[in-house]
Amino acid sequence: MELRAKKEADHEIPTASMGDVAFLILIFFLTSTVFTKDKGLKMLLPEKTTEKEKVVVVPENIITISINPAGEANVKTVGYNEFLAADDYEKITDIVEEKLLERDTLLVVSLRTSKDAPYNNMVLALDHIKLAKVTTADGRELRATKVSLIPTSEE
Amino acid sequence: MRRSIIRLSQRRTEIPTASTADIAFLLILFFMVTTVFRATTLHLKIKLPEAKSTERILLRRNVTYVWVDYESKIFVDDNLVSGDAVAAKITPKVWENPDLITILNVDEGVAYGVVDVILDQLKEAKAFKITFATERKS
Repeated sequence: MELRAKKEADHEIPTASMGDVAFLILIFFLTSTVFTKDKGLKMLLPEKTTEKEKVVVVPENIITISINPAGEANVKTVGYNEFLAADDYEKITDIVEEKLLERDTLLVVSLRTSKDAPYNNMVLALDHIKLAKVTTADGRELRATKVSLIPTSEE
Repeated sequence: MRRSIIRLSQRRTEIPTASTADIAFLLILFFMVTTVFRATTLHLKIKLPEAKSTERILLRRNVTYVWVDYESKIFVDDNLVSGDAVAAKITPKVWENPDLITILNVDEGVAYGVVDVILDQLKEAKAFKITFATERKS
């Protein structure tokens, strides 16, 4: 009689607290997770060139932006020459857009930064070049993709 | 009538919780897989420049970092290096992974000349894909 009673007893693993344990671990991972926050301005550097490999670009296709140590930018292209103060860089976008419509994919932006100029100004100028975006008459979206970074030094 | 009301109130109402654990474990798995623990805590004073056209970099496995703090000190892999030693540090990484993206975390006040030296070194190391780390400007 006693034996039979033992056999009939319920065997069960209590699972009621499973959810609690799982949520505990969940909260640990929630608080310790750091999502990627890498962000910035992408660039593709050119190969190192020798004197012989130099590419000649016609002046009509170039916008030259020169940044001096004080952070002022001189924007120069055929028929245009203007000095921009550091808080006036927005104009770069307009000029690049205008020239993009005119020159299409041939446009080259030459960003000449003085070695003594603050890095911030160079990034700011690059940002405004990248912001330029136009749609051509035949529906293509154009951006200034050819940007060359050139250091200059004051003598 | 009265009896049926009593029976109704006596009916056991319960929310099924059997699947709670499953849901929770599913979430755990998600966070376990996506978590990347910070390998290094850098105590560098770097204020990144702000830019409107900031993009996110999604391929985290292909990334390496170069840090330049406000005193123009250059760090690669948590080591202080001189400007002309950057190529030596980066070259083996490019050999390992040709798609390497170098992220330049440079303080906004640093002179451009310092950055130019690094860019030149990266060209030498054939690490052509670079990103200037910036904060998004609203």
